[in-house]
Amino acid sequence: MADKASRPDEVRAALARVGYIADDGLAAALWLADALQRPLLVEGDAGVGKTSMASAWAQLHGRRLIRLQCYEGLDLEHAAYEWNYSRQLLEIRLRETGGQSMAAADLFDRSFLLERPLLAAIASPEPCVLLIDEIDRADEAFEAFLLEVLSEYQLSIPELGTVRAASVPTVLLTSNGTRDLSDALRRRCLYHFLDYPDAARETAIVRAAVPQADARLAAEAVAFVQRLRREDLEKVPGVAETLDWVRALHRMDLRGLPQDGAQLLPTLACLLKTRADRFQFGAEEIARLGGTPVGVAMPLKAGGPA
Amino acid sequence: MQASQPQGGIVPGGSADAGPIDAVSGFAAYLREAGFAVGVAEQRLMVEALLAVGVGRPALVRPAWRAIVSGDRERWRRYPELFDAYWFPQRARGTVRTSGATRPRRDLRDLVRDLQAAPPATSPDPRGAAAGGPPGALGEAPADTATEGERRTAQGGASRAEPLERRDFTQWTDGDLQRLEQVARGVERRLRRRLMRRRERHAAGVRLDVRRTLRTSLRFGGLPLSPHWQRRRTRPPRVFLLVDVSRSMETHAPLYLRAARAFCEAIDARAFVFHTRIAEITALLRRRSGRVQERINAVTFGFGGGTRIATSLHAFAEGEARDALEPGALVMVLSDGYDTDPPHRLAESLAAIRARGARVAWLHPNRRASFGEALSRARDAGLVDAFAPAHDLASLERLPALLSFGGSR
Repeated sequence: MADKASRPDEVRAALARVGYIADDGLAAALWLADALQRPLLVEGDAGVGKTSMASAWAQLHGRRLIRLQCYEGLDLEHAAYEWNYSRQLLEIRLRETGGQSMAAADLFDRSFLLERPLLAAIASPEPCVLLIDEIDRADEAFEAFLLEVLSEYQLSIPELGTVRAASVPTVLLTSNGTRDLSDALRRRCLYHFLDYPDAARETAIVRAAVPQADARLAAEAVAFVQRLRREDLEKVPGVAETLDWVRALHRMDLRGLPQDGAQLLPTLACLLKTRADRFQFGAEEIARLGGTPVGVAMPLKAGGPA
Repeated sequence: MQASQPQGGIVPGGSADAGPIDAVSGFAAYLREAGFAVGVAEQRLMVEALLAVGVGRPALVRPAWRAIVSGDRERWRRYPELFDAYWFPQRARGTVRTSGATRPRRDLRDLVRDLQAAPPATSPDPRGAAAGGPPGALGEAPADTATEGERRTAQGGASRAEPLERRDFTQWTDGDLQRLEQVARGVERRLRRRLMRRRERHAAGVRLDVRRTLRTSLRFGGLPLSPHWQRRRTRPPRVFLLVDVSRSMETHAPLYLRAARAFCEAIDARAFVFHTRIAEITALLRRRSGRVQERINAVTFGFGGGTRIATSLHAFAEGEARDALEPGALVMVLSDGYDTDPPHRLAESLAAIRARGARVAWLHPNRRASFGEALSRARDAGLVDAFAPAHDLASLERLPALLSFGGSR
């Protein structure tokens, strides 16, 4: 489905068709990134859907998704390109035994070049989506290297010259905000801060991702998570956690949140991921958060609100 | 780009005859005033986006420009207000202009952060600043551009800083946390960084990184033309703060908890509270939420029986921090030293901590040190590396200078 959305609101609808529920701001940012051919930097807490946004975008346009996961110590050889030394050496030996002459140019041919994500994205003949994930984990030196790629969509390889993008890729960068990115990088990118979704959007996300789950379960689970986020937690559960949790609840054949907090306790492993947070939440706390489901009748379990 | 586009829709401040480009540069100037980095390139993008979206559609222009000009979270958050204030002044006036920095439905966390960012020069009591807010708050540059030193010189002589220092800690606000963080960094500088076993790449290293050098040498047919260097990794020493929250320390505990928070924020220290038993509160302190104090109160509630310092220190050394105590670590005990355990136990507990190579600094709240028997004994036995008074911020600020064990052990 390579229907190109030509306006922000269409982008939003198109993303919804591939199962990604975006808000207006994100749709506008994505549309703008595409229209202006600018990289888009998306910041937000872990688990709010930054990475899945990229795959949804790729799917929407029927493009290839090239992902570069950043980490401390990431260098050019792993991010951009590397010469295939062993093949080069072999080539030398072959030529020597064959008695052929060796022009240096032969050895630094594209066929000896190993493409890593950045080069692959630039050299790709058809447009692709390049996801540079968790850029805040990479070193500042790497960030500086990215500047050329991001502003000119080109890559300089000393032995070959400059490789220019045949087709400009959509570049999406994500960051968890563990480190401050440089202003130079920020200025080259559009920016969007992806926050936790509101209840309506999160319910829509759950319905899209776990369609088999009961509608009431989805609504109640989302309401619960929304309240949970307001608690003083060490690690706030993201959308990914909500989805996991709803899946788990669905597997337990629940059609709505049980009134009994103790029943939920074992499933909280999906939501609370640190010891301190788990320690805070006993059955009583859960019952308190569970509260009275708003405007929903309780056909399965009788009994008043906890 | 075409300058003569149809206008309409969004009109800056009612001047309908300005072209879109003029209108955009006016808004850009307004954003720059508000601390946004909007240069020529951004303005061009704004115009492009405007033309692509269609001039008459502010609902679409607004998020599109937001993506262009924001750049970071703080500005991203402030943008909608600025947009409305500029383009729809009649709608925004009355809410934005008067309430300035504080809207009623704002997140408490943001409020706390703003309190911390508020420079003491403009607001001796950050609470007051948050409540009122100057009318020009919209155009204010981010407060964190001024360093601590600049702020203090900007205050000038004997104005408001002095009473603040002597003020009772219970009246303190989070704006003072920054000064405590300076103290924490000062303490850390006094300690030697710990050498690690592993090495890291470093351009100015002294040891050859053989693996990497060989790998690169393949490029040159095996000749190591571009050597890589490495050096030993280091990491900051571990710092622990043990805060006494027993009844006798009631008046000082707020100060010490704030100090503990500053240490946790600034240098990744770990903080514990103890009275008859010990509990770690690092995670509580690290949270930048307005409910931190509430939670600490909850933890410390019911404290106030006797103080079992020796038992608590023993539990600390053998339990809570058993794996983390290492040579070079610093354990800061913030207590008056009145112990209900037998006097000889304290010396034993301190010896256990020191046996792991950690150093002990004792911060006591009394100006004239009047130690209990247990503490006097420990001191006479040379089990405490440094004593320092810590009854107010001024005395705490002298702390780094008093810690003079620059790594002789």
